[in-house]
Amino acid sequence: MPEPIVEAVDVAKVYQLGKTQVHALRHVDLVVERGEFLSIAGPSGSGKTTLLNLIGGVDVPSSGTVRVDGEDTSKLTERALTRLRLDHIGFIFQTFNLVAVLTVFQNVEFPLLLQGRMSSDDRRRRVNALLEAVGLADHARHRPSELSGGQRQRVAVARALVANPPLVLADEPTANLDSVTGGHIIDLMREMNRRDGTTFIFSTHDPKVMSHASAIVRLEDGRVVGRETAQGAEAR
Amino acid sequence: MSVVASRVRQGRILLQMAMRNLVASRVRTLVVGGIVALGVVIVVLGSSLLDSIDVGMTRSIQGSLGGHVQLYNAASRDPLALYGGTMGESVLEPIDDFARLKAAALTVPGVKLVVPMGIDQAMVSMGNVFDVALERLRADVRRRMEQGAPADAPDYEAHKAHLRRMATLLQQELRAAREIADETSGVYRDRKADFDALSTAVEGGFWETFDADPLGSLEFLENRVAPLSLDGGFTFIRYVGTDPEAFQKAFPGAQVVEGSPIPPGQRGALLGKLYAEEWLKLRAARRLDKIKEARDLNGRRIAKDEELQRWVKENTGQTRDILLQLDPVRTREAVRRLQAALGTKEEDPGKIVAALLDTNDDNFDARYRIFYAELAPLLQLYSVKVGDFITIKAPSRSGYVSSVNVPIHGFVEFRGLERSALAGMMSVLDIHSWRDLYGYMTPERAAEVRRLKERAGARTVAREDAEAALFGGGAEVPVEPVAVKPFDEAALLLAGGGRQSREDLFRRRYTQAETDTGVALNAAVILDDPRRIGETMPKLVEAAARAGMKVKAVTWLEASGIVGQSMGLLRMVLYLAVLIIFAVALVIINNAMVMATLQRVKEIGTMRAIGAQRRFVLVLVVVEVVTTGLVFGGLGAALGIAIVHAIGWTGGIAATNDTMYFLFSGPALIPRLGTASLVTSVAIVFLVSILSALYPAVLAMRVTPLEAMQSDE
Repeated sequence: MPEPIVEAVDVAKVYQLGKTQVHALRHVDLVVERGEFLSIAGPSGSGKTTLLNLIGGVDVPSSGTVRVDGEDTSKLTERALTRLRLDHIGFIFQTFNLVAVLTVFQNVEFPLLLQGRMSSDDRRRRVNALLEAVGLADHARHRPSELSGGQRQRVAVARALVANPPLVLADEPTANLDSVTGGHIIDLMREMNRRDGTTFIFSTHDPKVMSHASAIVRLEDGRVVGRETAQGAEAR
Repeated sequence: MSVVASRVRQGRILLQMAMRNLVASRVRTLVVGGIVALGVVIVVLGSSLLDSIDVGMTRSIQGSLGGHVQLYNAASRDPLALYGGTMGESVLEPIDDFARLKAAALTVPGVKLVVPMGIDQAMVSMGNVFDVALERLRADVRRRMEQGAPADAPDYEAHKAHLRRMATLLQQELRAAREIADETSGVYRDRKADFDALSTAVEGGFWETFDADPLGSLEFLENRVAPLSLDGGFTFIRYVGTDPEAFQKAFPGAQVVEGSPIPPGQRGALLGKLYAEEWLKLRAARRLDKIKEARDLNGRRIAKDEELQRWVKENTGQTRDILLQLDPVRTREAVRRLQAALGTKEEDPGKIVAALLDTNDDNFDARYRIFYAELAPLLQLYSVKVGDFITIKAPSRSGYVSSVNVPIHGFVEFRGLERSALAGMMSVLDIHSWRDLYGYMTPERAAEVRRLKERAGARTVAREDAEAALFGGGAEVPVEPVAVKPFDEAALLLAGGGRQSREDLFRRRYTQAETDTGVALNAAVILDDPRRIGETMPKLVEAAARAGMKVKAVTWLEASGIVGQSMGLLRMVLYLAVLIIFAVALVIINNAMVMATLQRVKEIGTMRAIGAQRRFVLVLVVVEVVTTGLVFGGLGAALGIAIVHAIGWTGGIAATNDTMYFLFSGPALIPRLGTASLVTSVAIVFLVSILSALYPAVLAMRVTPLEAMQSDE
């Protein structure tokens, strides 16, 4: 059995907010196996985003350990952590976060350029394949401002997947989209999950979105209060 | 290989992002770029102008008086100032034996010529020069009252220093007179008040407070001091005593514009052309010249300009100078010519000349032509002409006034400096006459003094006193009351081994050895290669030291005194302006980029989350600023180059006053583009861009990937 893609052991995260300490996460234990399509659910302020930040290596835990693809994030230098994000994790944001001045093609290409490993021909093929996959091949030369919200989020999905990471994190990917478009995005992510075996972890508080997940981890007040397998998702 | 290609692509996308960010915030980019472009225009234009001034002045000064290196006695109290300092002539200790210095200097490799020099001012009997000088100063004062005092006014200071120097010389004359006068006489008492007035005009206090009450001070000088200068008047001449033959070889810029050079080995003087224009020219003609210049060069108009109106009024009111020159035959001829030219039947010579000179803006150019074509040929325009003798009187080293007569061989003009009040006034005098004025005693003369003393039965007196008493002051008597038997000096001279008469003196040809052997104040050294000035200077000092002389070596620029300072001042002003503009640019670019960074926190955070290293973000900001700097710096440079060329095409910047003439070394300044100025401006822009990008880049680097996770709501 391969090692899990994510392994969190007794993780806590404490923020100092003025004079008070905010316990965003307490004693969180979580194992995510490769190929999962996992939803983190919970009300606002339950710690969903904090947990995703810790898994994504954009933040480190106050105590406990987070292993991503075998790497203990709290033991990595800033540089190595950045490298981990670049090579092992794809990100999809609630507000799409595309670089406004770059074209669709360039936005998708961006992680490959940062990696600096591929020839330009390979890059072009890879980017075009992904734009094809998310249905935006005709929009390669457009700027993000010329796209609808759903189209932008599809660009973001392509960008998250372009470097072929084993893990993609999505924080409320449908929160800024109408339900039909949001549904399409989740379908797209699910398709990629099935096709490439890429692990997806996404947070949401929308039950309809949760229903697509292979498993749901429920958070409340910074604690994991349950883990269940979503039957509906499995049924599809 | 693919890594390299990827880096190139990364660089291209950085550049692309930078350019697109710049286009996206156009207003900010234009403001920042505009400032950068302006700064570069100023650098390119300013340094092109200054470089051209540098080149022109270098040529003019090196070619007319400065040479490449100047040597003078190291024991001198003042630094050498070829064109005079603001406080008058610098006091130099003499070089006792120029021949020895010359021989020593010529042993240094690369030395082509060594020219002896002695620079001083002296009086020449002429028209009432005090009034002319006062008028110049009055004009300065009026200009300053109307336009405010400029920060840098070498002319004004020079004019004041000149008047002070005149008062000093007058005072010296008067003091000499008092010392032989009968203290009980009424004349002595009358002269006491005059002497006190002169003393006031000489004192530093008077001049220090001059600017506080310029009109009152001028009034004092006009009413109390000016009348003391003799009615016939005298003028002040600034001259360089030199070996005329060597001088001509060394200074091609010194051109004889009328007459002929001083014949080799002979005595004589070449008067400065500008000096002749300013001080020796018929005043009506001079005023016409000045009105023409004011109209043509400065665009002034008689109808609107009080000064020009005054000149016209003076010309019509003071026709006596002209009429006095005309004998009856010439008077008739003048009237006939003017009647024809002016189309009038006026018979009265005074009225018709006044009519000619009654100019206005419509008829000025025609009248000017008529004056020079019809009337001037009948007149002596200059009070001294080639072949005349002038008497130069100067205080000798011992303080007594010595005087020499010299023939005028011609008029000399210093190319490039011909119009400069500071430099173009210079006349050239043979070194023998200069040595007489300076009070230098040749061995031959020292022997003569001994003989005279023996014959006259004089007791031993100090060397300075003896020299001055015998050669310096004519009828003057030593300060100490020494009992001297009256003697017939001429008889003694003749008996004493045949001193030449005046005629003989001017026909005599001195050998090169005689010209070289003797005192000089400084020596101009001409090198084969002007680029070796720096390395040759210490060698010259060493060579002189080996010959037993302690000399100081200075470059032509240092020796040019005020000139070098004004050049330095201009450079300082330019650098200061550039410094200020780029300091402003630095602050503005910095602020703009800080704002831009704060606006892009989310974008930067996203890039960081996706996997961009801090260095990438740093380079992004720097590339953006440097791109702005280089693009707009390039535009500024292009604009600067265009302006420089445009100025050249339109004939350059015209010199509208004497200071500009001096700085431009000619009537117009045609700026030359220097690669140095272009490289400098690019370097400055680059440096300023990097500096102003630093803080925003650090801010951008501190943006964490967490920022990407914040939602907008």
